[in-house]
Amino acid sequence: MARPAMAREQIFALRQKIARIEGTQPERLEGGGTNADKAGAEMLVRRYAPASPWQTFSLGATGLDTALDGGIPRAALTEITSSQSRDAAVVAGFALALATLAGKVAGKESPVLWIGLANFFFEAGLPYVPGFARLFGFAPDRLLLVQPRRIEDALWVAEEAAIQNRFAAVLLELQGNPAKLNLTATRRLHHRARAAGYPLFLIRHGGEEEPTAAPTRLSVSAAASTFRETLAGPVPRSIGPPAFAVTLSRSRTGKEGTFVLEWNSHDLTFQERQPLPGKPLHIGAEHATDTGDLAAASGNGSHSAPAARNILAANGRKAG
Amino acid sequence: MNEAAEALGLRKGLGIADARAMHPDLEILEADPVADGRMLCRLADWCDHFTPLVALDGADGLMLDISGCAHLFGGEDSLLREVMRRLGMQGFDARASLASTPGMAWAAARFGDRPSVNVVPGEEEDALSPMPLAALRIEPEIQRKLESVGLRRIGALLGAPRGPLARRFGGLLITRLDQALGILEEVISPRLPVPPLSVERRLGEPISLLQDIEQMLLLLARTLKQDLERRGEGVRQLTLSLFRVDGAVTRITVSTSQALREPQAIASLFREKFTVLENSLDPGHGFELVRLAAISTAPFLDRQEGLTDDRSSAEEEQFSLMVDRLRARLGDHAVLAPAPAQSHVPERQAEFITFSDWMAQASSSGVQKLAADSRGTASASALKQDAVPFATPARPLRLLVKPELIEAAAEVPEGPPFSFRWRKAIYRVARAEGPERIAPEWWLETKASLARDYFRVEDTEGRRFWVFREGIYDGKSMPRWFLHGLFP
Repeated sequence: MARPAMAREQIFALRQKIARIEGTQPERLEGGGTNADKAGAEMLVRRYAPASPWQTFSLGATGLDTALDGGIPRAALTEITSSQSRDAAVVAGFALALATLAGKVAGKESPVLWIGLANFFFEAGLPYVPGFARLFGFAPDRLLLVQPRRIEDALWVAEEAAIQNRFAAVLLELQGNPAKLNLTATRRLHHRARAAGYPLFLIRHGGEEEPTAAPTRLSVSAAASTFRETLAGPVPRSIGPPAFAVTLSRSRTGKEGTFVLEWNSHDLTFQERQPLPGKPLHIGAEHATDTGDLAAASGNGSHSAPAARNILAANGRKAG
Repeated sequence: MNEAAEALGLRKGLGIADARAMHPDLEILEADPVADGRMLCRLADWCDHFTPLVALDGADGLMLDISGCAHLFGGEDSLLREVMRRLGMQGFDARASLASTPGMAWAAARFGDRPSVNVVPGEEEDALSPMPLAALRIEPEIQRKLESVGLRRIGALLGAPRGPLARRFGGLLITRLDQALGILEEVISPRLPVPPLSVERRLGEPISLLQDIEQMLLLLARTLKQDLERRGEGVRQLTLSLFRVDGAVTRITVSTSQALREPQAIASLFREKFTVLENSLDPGHGFELVRLAAISTAPFLDRQEGLTDDRSSAEEEQFSLMVDRLRARLGDHAVLAPAPAQSHVPERQAEFITFSDWMAQASSSGVQKLAADSRGTASASALKQDAVPFATPARPLRLLVKPELIEAAAEVPEGPPFSFRWRKAIYRVARAEGPERIAPEWWLETKASLARDYFRVEDTEGRRFWVFREGIYDGKSMPRWFLHGLFP
């Protein structure tokens, strides 16, 4: 039994519309209906499916890129969440790394707009430009910081910025699950980002996972770094490049998984840490190799400071 | 003292006890000079109706320079009548006078025989003659001296020889006399800066709807644009004054980062302000006068639109307009750019300045503009190589507004911490790098501060922090540990 052709056409048109809004492909919306007309519908869906409007930028990490079907969509809302707000720098660093990659694809050094509530900046710290410059090759005059007091205003700024196509990326940093940031609000943001043609990164600190219109959601936390490599081999106890544990919890492909990425500040790209054979992917620190030596802070630190562990002093001062 | 009290025969300077004795049911209120001053300022705001040049005169007077304004109200006499009528409507018992010199007007308003006097030019001497000496704005001391020699009226001074007068009573007396008579020029100092350009519209039917105000604003902005074009300028700061029927005045100011002329753009800036003011803007019975004044202007560069694909100037304009709208709605302090660093102390490198200051600095020092960056790939990559050598020690991504005190257990004398407690949570340090010593800038400090040894530490869960020890373990004092920044 087949539905009248007219009705079917309408359904497909609607599906495509929804797919456009949701930022997914019409095939994935294929749900209800009897088995009999499903095959036919599939065919029609394929015939009507538009050429993929998805321009993505690659992260340089093969596993995550594959799971994301090429990378992060360029003109879309991307949610980056963290479970705790003390990971604020990790998440912000990951978002800035993505912004750097997006800017590299766009081929121009456009400014980055960073929006956050004034009280959150007070709690989690203000962006520190010398830090960016080193990690992301970021000229200090490329940052525009907007700190409104209310969430409504923050959302308004993000939408307002979308009228421009000047930005390499927009970072919107919010905390928890504010009622103002509901599905409708994310849908609006996603629309604006699509219209403007640049990525909008919504950073949510310490919030529960909520329904969102963002096609991609990544949950980021800190991962223990590897040792710093030198010509003489890894420096014991040193702190290597920034490492992120990234969990993909929503994507167009529907794939999920956890990946450990390291940011390479020389080449401005991510590298994926491969799990060692026979061992699970480690996220915490390696204790076995801890020799107790202190790595020197110098950039090419091949010499390490002598261990000075014979005397211990506890700072007995109580806070306050 | 109100009119009722005056009718009962009470006078200024009478003691409260005496007054109570005369009329036991008196209500005594303490004088509140501050509130009186506020009232006078509000009244001065309202007087902007008539002229932009309004000056406060003592604690109870206003001086209006109406040169070139009287014809708007149908001549001097009708202007004076209008002022008196409307002040009366607001419940003020005012005395006013109009004259060709501030001195004469002052004297006539305070010592004239009628509540409103118009002293026609040429009649100053006649008007002044019968007035007491106090009408000359001279010091009480001089007045007392003059009175002691029998000169009680100004008329007596006018005929007297000037040389001896000046010698005995000082030059001020002659100056005041000349000022009143118009022999010497005198200017009033207006309360508010006089805008170089201002357009206004008086409304027969007061408006109260926001749409109407916006419509009116657009109309005024179009007129202003013509004036600006004639002068080859654009506005940098604009004030919209809304005069309410009952005398209250609302002023809304916006500033722009580039010289601006477009009425639509001006209107959009004010629209953001209206959104913020939504609740506090009370139209009451409506606004009867809307004035748009350009407080500061700047040369406006007319640009030829290129035929090639050179869209950067238009984009730049759009960009600065967006920033202006953000500033109009959120306030100037909310839109920030990093301050150019001229220090090695982390917190001084982390400073942000408002976007307007940043623009001013960028244009004065010729630094490449944020907005003009879209094509500046070459310069940016050059900067990457010059300013960010990879040998510099690692710096955090976020810096706490103030270093936070932590409780730390550390190696003595100068090792990194093993564990520390920050915001009630304990972190165990797995790895550490350092120390990196950062000395204070003693040439800027008011009190001596200690050198800091910074460590980059990673805890067992992979979080990376920037902590420092202030001072050293020398057996005498206990150094303190602080957490200053967070690494990605």
